[in-house]
Amino acid sequence: MRHITDLLDNEPVVATAGTDMLAAAIEQQGAAVSRAEWRPPVAGSETALAKLAADGRMEEANRTAIARMLAVRPHLVDVGVARDVFTDMTDRTLFHAGPPLEWERASGPMQGAIIGAMLYEGLAADPDDAAVRAARGEIELSPCHHHGAVGPMAGVTSPSMPVAIVEDAAGDGVSYSTLNEGLGKVLRYGAFAPEVIDRLRWMDRVLGPVLGAALRRRGPIDLQSLIAQALQMGDDGHNRNRAVTSLFLREIGAVLIDGTEAPVEQRRSVFEFIDGNDHFMLNLVMAAGKLGSDAAAGVTASSLVTVMARNGTDFGVRLSGTGDRWFTAPAPPVDGLYLGGYTEEDASPDIGDSTITETVGLGGFAMAAAPAIVGFVGGTASNAIQRTLAMYEITMAEHPAYQIPPLEFRGTPVGIDAARVVRTGVRPQINTGVAGKVPGTGMVGAGLVEAPMECFTDAINALADSL
Amino acid sequence: MVSRVEIHPGRYHDSVRLMQASKALQDVPGVTDALVAMATELNLSLLADMGFDMEATTSAGPNDLLLAVRADNDDTIATAHRVLDDALTHRAAADSGLTVPQPRTVGTAADVNGANIVLLSVPGEHAFVEAMEALEGGRHVMIFSDNVPVSQEVILKQRGVERGLLVMGPDCGTAIVNGLGLGFANAVHPGPVGIVGASGTGIQQVCSLLDDAGVGVRHALGTGSHDLSEEVGAIATLQALAALDADPAVEVIALISKPPAASVAARVRAAAAGCSKPVVVIFMGESTLEDGAAEVLALMDKQQTALSWPTDQDDHRRGTVRGLFSGGTLRDEARFVAMPVLGPIGTKELDSITRRNSDHTFIDYGDDEYTKGRAHPMIDQTVRIDRLEEVAVDADVGVILMDVVLGYGANADPAAELVPAITKAVASGAAVVVSLCGTQRDPQDRDRQAKTLQAAGASVWLSNAAAARQAARLATGG
Amino acid sequence: MINPETTETRLSPAPLRVPGVASIAIHGLLTGSGIEGTVLGTSSHAVWVQAGGDVIVISIGRGTRLPNGVHLPETAGRELLRRVHQGSKVLIGHGRITIGNVSVTVPRWWDPRPALPAVTAEDLAARLVGLPSEVPGINTTSLGLALEVGSAGGILLSAKTLLGKGPGLTPEGDDLLTGALGATRILGEATGRERAVALIAGISRPLAEMAEVRTTAYSAALLEMALRGRLVEPAGALLRALAGRGDIAASHLSLIRLGHTSGPALAAGIVLGAQALIQ
Repeated sequence: MRHITDLLDNEPVVATAGTDMLAAAIEQQGAAVSRAEWRPPVAGSETALAKLAADGRMEEANRTAIARMLAVRPHLVDVGVARDVFTDMTDRTLFHAGPPLEWERASGPMQGAIIGAMLYEGLAADPDDAAVRAARGEIELSPCHHHGAVGPMAGVTSPSMPVAIVEDAAGDGVSYSTLNEGLGKVLRYGAFAPEVIDRLRWMDRVLGPVLGAALRRRGPIDLQSLIAQALQMGDDGHNRNRAVTSLFLREIGAVLIDGTEAPVEQRRSVFEFIDGNDHFMLNLVMAAGKLGSDAAAGVTASSLVTVMARNGTDFGVRLSGTGDRWFTAPAPPVDGLYLGGYTEEDASPDIGDSTITETVGLGGFAMAAAPAIVGFVGGTASNAIQRTLAMYEITMAEHPAYQIPPLEFRGTPVGIDAARVVRTGVRPQINTGVAGKVPGTGMVGAGLVEAPMECFTDAINALADSL
Repeated sequence: MVSRVEIHPGRYHDSVRLMQASKALQDVPGVTDALVAMATELNLSLLADMGFDMEATTSAGPNDLLLAVRADNDDTIATAHRVLDDALTHRAAADSGLTVPQPRTVGTAADVNGANIVLLSVPGEHAFVEAMEALEGGRHVMIFSDNVPVSQEVILKQRGVERGLLVMGPDCGTAIVNGLGLGFANAVHPGPVGIVGASGTGIQQVCSLLDDAGVGVRHALGTGSHDLSEEVGAIATLQALAALDADPAVEVIALISKPPAASVAARVRAAAAGCSKPVVVIFMGESTLEDGAAEVLALMDKQQTALSWPTDQDDHRRGTVRGLFSGGTLRDEARFVAMPVLGPIGTKELDSITRRNSDHTFIDYGDDEYTKGRAHPMIDQTVRIDRLEEVAVDADVGVILMDVVLGYGANADPAAELVPAITKAVASGAAVVVSLCGTQRDPQDRDRQAKTLQAAGASVWLSNAAAARQAARLATGG
Repeated sequence: MINPETTETRLSPAPLRVPGVASIAIHGLLTGSGIEGTVLGTSSHAVWVQAGGDVIVISIGRGTRLPNGVHLPETAGRELLRRVHQGSKVLIGHGRITIGNVSVTVPRWWDPRPALPAVTAEDLAARLVGLPSEVPGINTTSLGLALEVGSAGGILLSAKTLLGKGPGLTPEGDDLLTGALGATRILGEATGRERAVALIAGISRPLAEMAEVRTTAYSAALLEMALRGRLVEPAGALLRALAGRGDIAASHLSLIRLGHTSGPALAAGIVLGAQALIQ
């Protein structure tokens, strides 16, 4: 009776959705009212939404799932080698970004990266040979996501590559990612020239081992703490990682200088490598996100989005309550600014696991913290704030650790609710780089892209069916 | 003559705003026809009926905005576009440097101001999801929307009872909580009466009758029109009854409904009898709202006033009674009162083939049949005025009976709109009888409305039953 | 070329009409034939108006509703605050309050007398446990005692020291008195203690006269309202909770948050009055 007593004994405080007449009539009586600008849900989702509402388990399930996502404490502990770390990896296995993919359907940059990895692993003699063998099915392709891993852009991970290991200090989870090669002609953009392969070899011979030794010597690095600080220094965790990379170098610098057995030239080259790559930490930020994503998976009836990922052809989404299922749609084009003389014509469809950042309250969901980004992706600073504010409508929580200074240190919107996406028509927005469609071109631009609604509609229908 | 048909995908606006926009376009000089609506099947067929070229609409769906204009030249079309943009533009939030995006769901809207009650008037098929969100958030719900499946109504009300929250509706047009009117509601003075009603207009009529006797109303809790059906089993009625019984500010309770299913009636009467306060049960069809209100007043030692603005109208042309009502409740009550005197009274419009002189008909123009593409007749009187003009000069019709319901949410000046047609009717010899439902403090100024109608030649009655009696008396020459 | 006429029109804001909800205790004043007054002062959420012998308040936003007030919603109310200042001329009557080109209308009314269920002394006693009846720096003993024994003279004597004690528009001493006497009146009725109700009725006139000279007009107005069982909304809510309807902790908290010292003093007074009542 408490609620009813409270209603009947006091001035009602009213919210409305629907015709304005009801709200206006209340205002005419000298009372205030909060209006929703209501729209019908996306066509094809109505029945599922009603079923989920009637069932009643979704709210509680979502509370459980988001709590799990936010409870992880990712720490970078070591660097290993892919073939040792991944039990499912054979000599002919290549992991890749995004949902499952076959060679035939892969885009230019993805095919280029696969070719490059095959050359790196000695699985082919030359690029043409690699393409033929790949087309013949001689290599096994599997999503990074299926193995607790993530990779930016093409995200190709092969047996010999060094792999960062991120552990949950508050639980048993582990996640992995390759190390970032830098900008320009790199494997993840589909380049496979000899210089690319050489760099990969340097990474597995020098970067991996030295960094690993340094980490083991120093002890685990609290990634969440670094990211939280970086957000208040102008990073967004997806397209801008300069601050977090700088902070990482401060964490690792001392032990690099004076804590490993490696020769001085190697230690110097590692330091310079990280120092020269503003995006070095992207992969680790992604791995930290993957930890939260995996922790939140598998809660029955939960509409929490645990994965958003692209393989250069498809955009894929996973929900906590629908197990291992992927819900895919064609990867949308990016609305962006192009570098130099590049245009839309040169762009490859959206690609990469880096949307794991948006999935955990970073990237496009923290854009207000990184107004500098907007120049890069096109728009004004207040635009960045507007876009972040819009995301609160479709998320379950405000991040306890990642705060946005221009929003009075409000926590970032985190925990995308697929049900709210289809109900409101508001799509998750993503800051992303754009790869050139000709393999090896590298980055041609950056911009904003919204996740395709189809994925969420399909996911919600599947969730309703699963009850 | 130029015409333009456009489809704007993904632009959504609620139906009332679209109707206002349509009207605004039609008022642009040089525009002969205009339609702004969501591209539903119904609206597309309306478009075809209006003679527009349908080519642009082949792939249009219900979530797309349809704009069609026929005008004298291209400049007018350009003007029409500007008028449309103006009509559909939402105001940005005032006085904040940051324009916070408008909430898209009731949950978010309620979070903005800490609402403890949510009012829904979204299309019926979408009301359930919004209402459930409100209940999950610990908020009471009033569902103005109709066409919500009964199975969903039951789930909502059961969830409401579980969580100690009220679900008023679906199809609940009126509520008053602590003096604040929700939906179509009259301005009431704070007082010791609590009302539970399955009929919004029924609530309004009782409030008006009490108000005139100087008795105020504390709360009027709506239950929605289906609450006393077998399937729903009076869940909201029983909950509301208990709530009012427990409220120390309420001394007398009135319970208003159409006759419920027999088992449900018994349960409700038992609950009423078990209340610590007197409960006046008004099942329409067994008694009138007028009698019910009188009973409430008697419990408080007050007299019912028989407020009217009479007119000498005994001298009118002989003929049938035509009732033009804006809702079912007052139509049904009028019929209940008049049938013993007049004999059979039809509820369907006479079709010209079967029309007979002796057919009295009382029509509810709030019925779905008459409200396609239009706002409710309590807001938009166009259809009733058209009918009034027809029957005004129909020699078979002797008496015209109408209700005019005032209050928040209703037409701003219904009397003024009705004057021309009423004048015509009276001039041609018909008698016009109006039941005017409203309180002294209603925004339309009830007494001024009454005097306007009276000056046009109608007799005006606060009590709908009294108006019906007058109409029946006139028709039988008594 | 600037047209002075148009500049003039552009500078003065459009007339403003704001609907609000008013206490039925000032129904007569607001619907009367018209009386002139002045704005006594304004704050961030209220406007005080003196008209004839009365003080009324226009309160704004999520603030409290007052028994001698009209309450406006936030946005429109802010706009009103921007346009009125101390000394502005006011006209009250015919259902509105007009200040310059702002018109506050009253489409709706509320009843400042809290409706309480009947309650027994035992139940009331149990609910009072743990609630403070003290105000630092103010001696409440004599008032408490006077209420306990039902001494009109004793109450008036205490009032002499309490009225006007403390700074502000409603001094702490006044609030304590208002709370204690209001509680006596209202809980007296709810517990069926006729003598207590009669006691308050008996001292109303002398106390009002005393208040007129010893404290602010506004505070005196609130005291007079309390003697007739009308209180600020949160105070009414606390009394209701003490009578068994509503949450005591929540309503107590809401009341003590009112103003700076007003809330706690009112709350302490209510508890003092309630305790004295059941002795």
